[in-house]
Amino acid sequence: MRRVVDIGRRIELIPIDPHFHDITIGLYRQQIVDTTTGKDSPAFLVHTYSCISGAAERIENVIQGMQILGGMLRTVEGLLYFPCNSAHEAACRRVFLEACKFAPNTRIEPRPLNILDKKSQLTISVDSTGKGIYRVSADGEGRGAARRISAIAGGLMKLGEMESIESDNKDTVAFACGQPHDALIGLLLTRAPNVRVVLREEEMGASRGVLTAPSQQT
Amino acid sequence: MQKTMTGRERVLAALSNEPTDRTAVCNPTSVATVELMDLVEAPFPEANRDPELMARLAATGYTELGFDTIMPVFTIIQESSALGCKIQWEQKDNWPTVRMREPIWEDVDDITIPDDFLTHPDTQCVLEAIKLLKKEYGDEIAVIGKTMGPWSLGYHCFGVEPFLLLSLDDPGKTKLALDRMKEATVQFGVAQIEAGADALTLPDHATGDLVSGEYYQRYLRDLHIEFVDRIPIPLILHICGRTVDRMEYIAQTGMAAFHYDSKNEPQESMDIVKERIALVGNINNPETLFSKEPEDVKAEVIKNLDAGVPLIGPECAIPLQTTIENLQAIPEAVKEWHRARDNKDRSGQAHANALNGENT
Repeated sequence: MRRVVDIGRRIELIPIDPHFHDITIGLYRQQIVDTTTGKDSPAFLVHTYSCISGAAERIENVIQGMQILGGMLRTVEGLLYFPCNSAHEAACRRVFLEACKFAPNTRIEPRPLNILDKKSQLTISVDSTGKGIYRVSADGEGRGAARRISAIAGGLMKLGEMESIESDNKDTVAFACGQPHDALIGLLLTRAPNVRVVLREEEMGASRGVLTAPSQQT
Repeated sequence: MQKTMTGRERVLAALSNEPTDRTAVCNPTSVATVELMDLVEAPFPEANRDPELMARLAATGYTELGFDTIMPVFTIIQESSALGCKIQWEQKDNWPTVRMREPIWEDVDDITIPDDFLTHPDTQCVLEAIKLLKKEYGDEIAVIGKTMGPWSLGYHCFGVEPFLLLSLDDPGKTKLALDRMKEATVQFGVAQIEAGADALTLPDHATGDLVSGEYYQRYLRDLHIEFVDRIPIPLILHICGRTVDRMEYIAQTGMAAFHYDSKNEPQESMDIVKERIALVGNINNPETLFSKEPEDVKAEVIKNLDAGVPLIGPECAIPLQTTIENLQAIPEAVKEWHRARDNKDRSGQAHANALNGENT
């Protein structure tokens, strides 16, 4: 009898969880219907096919991590969703990947809205100006600072599928839903300064497990 | 109306160019994924070295994905390991590989098939897994084994570059090398038949990127004809890449099927091979199965069905992170296509009957 069930469309995968017996953990996207309004909206399931003892607790761990790191809510069935009811799929994938990096029993806290940018040694901050709009700023001035600010704003756009808001300094970005997501933007900010490295890591991860012909192996 | 066939009957009929109740869904190479490994607690690398785990993981191709075949030989290195090659076994999420920078043979005279070739743990594992699968599922589906061809073994045992250079510099020695290595292919193939395999995949990586069609004809066609004689079971030749330039020669070998790559269009390939050899495969791995949606997978399946390809499946061993839903989309699409065609036939027949009624 088939044991695999329809749990939605898989959008991200950790093939080996180093924190729990190398199990595989997937993030699946579903549509759920609000019984009062009849409207459907996206929700996300964290799932493993592993049945080994403790696997369910590990999944619970990741779910709780995503709630904290991404400011996500959870249904009684354990599905995760954003308060705005938008998908923010790329951002959600990032939240999942970051939550899986924490070992069980690690205290997880929301990320602050500022970071030290190692490249420029500037403190970079992100401030909400309302309606899902965030402005990136630095604690110093000059050409270097302006360049880093615009690069980091670009990183946020790529990682979170955010929109650019017309501004002189290219320092303002927004979530399409028009709602604030402070926890999410704090999480994205940690990776935004190195977005190229992040994307390269993702590419390398994806190419693992693809069998090549012997002629292409070394 | 034709009776419903078992998966085994369907696959074996398709491999013999006989009618089937519907198009067979066949994986001549691995459909294992990291999620399926979790489901049955049979992860790589252990599932490549322990027969019970190998059989358990392979069975998911039938029990979870709905294919008409089970193919337990996930890797391409089992016999190379038994020949003495050094193997990097890797982790759950990656394929084991031969360390080809440390070749075991330099000259044709170095080629020896060890006495323990068929009792080596990595060949024994395959034979035992086939026995287990045959016992459990033998009446329902086709159990497909795999024996690597001499060209692939040449890459593994001599190294890719030295072997290709040998083929350029000394065709006589190359033929001699292939002739000696082919004994490993035959021995392992026959042992798998004795273990219960219904058909065998025979990968021989004269791939489109490095080897021309003329090379295939010069070095491999006759060898492959010989395999058909010496390994008495339906053989499925597997060569990756663009291979239309050698399909004519491949069709002359007498092999039951050719497992072909998505770099070849289904219709152009069918036009070349005609009914001399069945085609199988063609569903793209790195882009479609790995990165796209079930609808995209189904579109490729339908393209093959429309071209008359008799066995549908992935083009090669699938990436280990492939989604289960994309793999399930293959048999789903085949069934949907047949349902739609049957409905069309029925409504056409009803229409014809109505017209006849009007006329009489």
